[in-house]
Amino acid sequence: MQFLHGTKIDFLGKRKTFIYLSLILNVVGILAPFVLGLRFGIDFEGGTEIALQFSEKINTAEIRDVIDKQFEGAEIKSYGKENQFLIRVVTNLSKDATSQVIQTLKDKYPTEVITILKVDTIGPKVGNELRTKALIAVLLAIIAIMLYIAFRFEFTYGVGAAIAIVHDVLVTLALVTVFSKLGILNLEVNQSMIAAFLTVVGFSVNDTVIIFDRIRENIERHKGMNMIKLMNISINETLSRTINTVLTVVMVLFIITLFGGEVLQGFSFTMLVGIITGAYSSIYIASAFVIWYLQHVKKVDVEGDFTRQNNTELLKASKV
Amino acid sequence: MKPNLFWKYFIVIAPIVLAGFLLYPTYRSGDLEKKDASYKDANGNVIDSVGYADFLTKYDDDIKSNKSKRIKLGLDLRGGMYVMLEVDIVKLLEEAASRDAIDDIFTQVIEKTKIETDLDDGQNVLDVFVKNFNAIAKPQGRTLINYYEISGEISEQNILDKLKKDIEDAVDQAKEVIRQRIDKYGVSEPSIQKQGSRRIVLELPGINNPEEMRQLVKGTARLEFKLVRNNVDIVRAFYKIDEYLTKRKNSTIATATDTLPASDSTIAKVDSTKVDTTASVTSADSAKNDSAMQAAKAADTANPYAGLPQEEQQKRYEKDHPFTSLFISYIIQNQKSQPISYVKDDFPEAEYFFQIPQSTELKFNAIMNRSDIKRLIPNDLQILRSAKSSSPPNASNPIYTLYSVKRDAELKGDVVTNARASFDPQSNSPVVMMEMDADGTASWARITGANVNKKIAIVLDEQVYSAPNVIQKITGGNSQITGMQNAEEAHLLEIILKAGALKAPVKIIEERVVGPSLGEDSIKSGLLASGIAFLMVILFMGIYYSTGGMIANVAVLINVALIMATLPLFQGTLTLPGIAGIILTIAMAVDANILIFERIREELARGRSFRGAIDEGFSKALTAVIDTHITTFITGLILFFLGTGPIQGFALTLMIGILSTFFTAITVSRAIIEIMMSRGSGTISFGQPKS
Repeated sequence: MQFLHGTKIDFLGKRKTFIYLSLILNVVGILAPFVLGLRFGIDFEGGTEIALQFSEKINTAEIRDVIDKQFEGAEIKSYGKENQFLIRVVTNLSKDATSQVIQTLKDKYPTEVITILKVDTIGPKVGNELRTKALIAVLLAIIAIMLYIAFRFEFTYGVGAAIAIVHDVLVTLALVTVFSKLGILNLEVNQSMIAAFLTVVGFSVNDTVIIFDRIRENIERHKGMNMIKLMNISINETLSRTINTVLTVVMVLFIITLFGGEVLQGFSFTMLVGIITGAYSSIYIASAFVIWYLQHVKKVDVEGDFTRQNNTELLKASKV
Repeated sequence: MKPNLFWKYFIVIAPIVLAGFLLYPTYRSGDLEKKDASYKDANGNVIDSVGYADFLTKYDDDIKSNKSKRIKLGLDLRGGMYVMLEVDIVKLLEEAASRDAIDDIFTQVIEKTKIETDLDDGQNVLDVFVKNFNAIAKPQGRTLINYYEISGEISEQNILDKLKKDIEDAVDQAKEVIRQRIDKYGVSEPSIQKQGSRRIVLELPGINNPEEMRQLVKGTARLEFKLVRNNVDIVRAFYKIDEYLTKRKNSTIATATDTLPASDSTIAKVDSTKVDTTASVTSADSAKNDSAMQAAKAADTANPYAGLPQEEQQKRYEKDHPFTSLFISYIIQNQKSQPISYVKDDFPEAEYFFQIPQSTELKFNAIMNRSDIKRLIPNDLQILRSAKSSSPPNASNPIYTLYSVKRDAELKGDVVTNARASFDPQSNSPVVMMEMDADGTASWARITGANVNKKIAIVLDEQVYSAPNVIQKITGGNSQITGMQNAEEAHLLEIILKAGALKAPVKIIEERVVGPSLGEDSIKSGLLASGIAFLMVILFMGIYYSTGGMIANVAVLINVALIMATLPLFQGTLTLPGIAGIILTIAMAVDANILIFERIREELARGRSFRGAIDEGFSKALTAVIDTHITTFITGLILFFLGTGPIQGFALTLMIGILSTFFTAITVSRAIIEIMMSRGSGTISFGQPKS
């Protein structure tokens, strides 16, 4: 079985259009959290979050009325099933918010059996720390990968890959924010979503690495070929792998998003978006950046064949 | 077989064998747990207590060793409680200052330090304190000497050193106190770890009463000095308990069988007539003990079991002494200790001592906590256990010491102003020096004077940390405690003695509780999703890459088994994000295989021979596989070091997964291909279109 064979798509010919598209998406990614508001999970926000289950189906609005009276600014939403709810209250840790909430609900619904599914109580200090740590983790990962690729290929390639990762993170952020705002999925920025973002960082770079690896090989094979043509050949040659891998991973993540339960949903959705943009950015961001750099900074003629300057530059670029 | 080929087989079979070997404890442990559950009802109460006890004795080692080697489930999967505690160091610094010296300037420094350290954990509290002290108090002509009293040479540096040590000790002490309480509470497999300089992280699986746990960890520890009374009174009391229990058994059976009218008389008859036939009354196992006692009584001589084989004697004795056979009692006479039995109530006046193995402790406590039993113990005495075992650290059934002590404490621990572990150069052994305040010194002189040559137990939270012998009356308030096995033990005692002096409360700053039902749901949906995803991947690979794909599938299966098997080796716990990590690894593994197979197809399309295409495919894909794996590994590493709890679980599975994927994708798939080729497959289909 074979989906694609011997494709000769001119990926990089349309690069300008796609770069503009990416730029727009990235701006959305930067602005969306500020404009639409990012929903932080309890990990980063602090407070007490209780997931509980009633023996029967109960109206969310009704619970909201009861809880709101006692806890100002409490958040109530459904949690998976119809009789399961997530109640978040802002408290300090000295008070036992859990018992209070449960007591309030028991008074209101004396016949209901209330089961506590989970309780998270996070002090404001811890929330603050976790947020800082998460940010450091993402930045550190990007820098580490950039350095590794710069070491394995050329510095330009490392920068290209790093820009591509930043792009992926921002696009993912944009989509997560929008999806969360539209209420399609229950997405909030918590520890496991940070894990997902980091995995996006680690995994989306794979496509970039594989294309770069092929470029490195092809520079040796097709000596003197212009860079755009060479990159297009490399991308086409690895296309089958890219499609198949992205397909399997997307399939896996899609299934987890659907069946993996509430806890894994945010994680898998984030990865899903990240993997797809990762494949895209390896072509239109990482490779396109290298082209741009050669063209505008190194003043290499990337479109003309067989120029002496071109050849030496490329060989230099291929140095490991 | 060619030696070359032998290694190919080895590469394929060895990981399977290894995985099987490493996964066996997990399987076995689950098996034993099922058996364990079969003795209990739905609420976890033991139904068949005798059968259960037999089961526990028989499989005790088995259960423990397999438990320690099996895959541990994280709190999110098995339910439980996660608590992060912080020791209030600012409070400690405040409390450590002399009461009279504290003024507005000092309070200002403390307040500022409190505000600054409340927001950020990255800083060392003492450093912040010193910084603020230098900024606020120094210009006003104050030094640390104005506020802190220390013994020895008085200098700012010495005060700082002491404060630093006090802070360390306070955190260690809090950890030790919490550890003891949790052990006592009976949490299975708790994890208690120090994190950073002043935090303690508790992971308590299976806890569903967070309120109780919260009180347990937050309460302050009570240090007391109690007189040890291991005398004949307590031994007699133990004898009475035995007697009472065996008698009581008679009546219990009678009442228990009331509900079964038919059997009531049967048992009674059996009791009074023949011993052996009781064996037929299987459900009332305790009846056997009963009749054994009857038999023993009938032949009441010096050795009631004389004439019976050794083993049988032992068995009979245990049945007749349901309480005292739970521990070992020794009498100390002429500096020598000798085990005693409770056959007859003719115990001489002497000093005794008692040891109890961990395995019988629960039973012991259960009996001791009964109100009817409590009445049999002299009013002024109570039984306490040693906090530490005298057995080697990893003994499967450690032995503890039991102490009978005076119920009322002679002295409370807050009179202790300082304790210091050091080394006695003369005897070349560790010692702990203890200092007391003026009130304490006076009382201590009185107490030690009245109890020369007797033992005084150092008790924290109702557990005995040490019970030194009083050698002479101590008048100066400075005591020297000897007899510790090693420096570590001395340090522990030092920390414990400081319990009164170090006033550093702990605060809960993070708390997570996962109810058992959510854990189950999570496992179910997580496993279901993983299962479906895995199946899809296998199908896809098999269809798209044909035989090659199936080879990859075998490699991926080995891969998953290897990840699961190595997880316990790294002390890893399987969390929900961890399952996600494994699924991701499958994706990585499939990616590596796709990369290689695409390369092989390409080479075949270029007209290379099959052999050549395999060689080229693997070698050319290698660099890309290495690079992709390393970049993912880097993120895993960063996640592991910066993440907490479940995220670390994810990072660990991801990293283990990447290593084993690298191995399986490159080596195992290759080996399978080589084996197939050597067995006559000229070509293997990689699903490439027929040319």
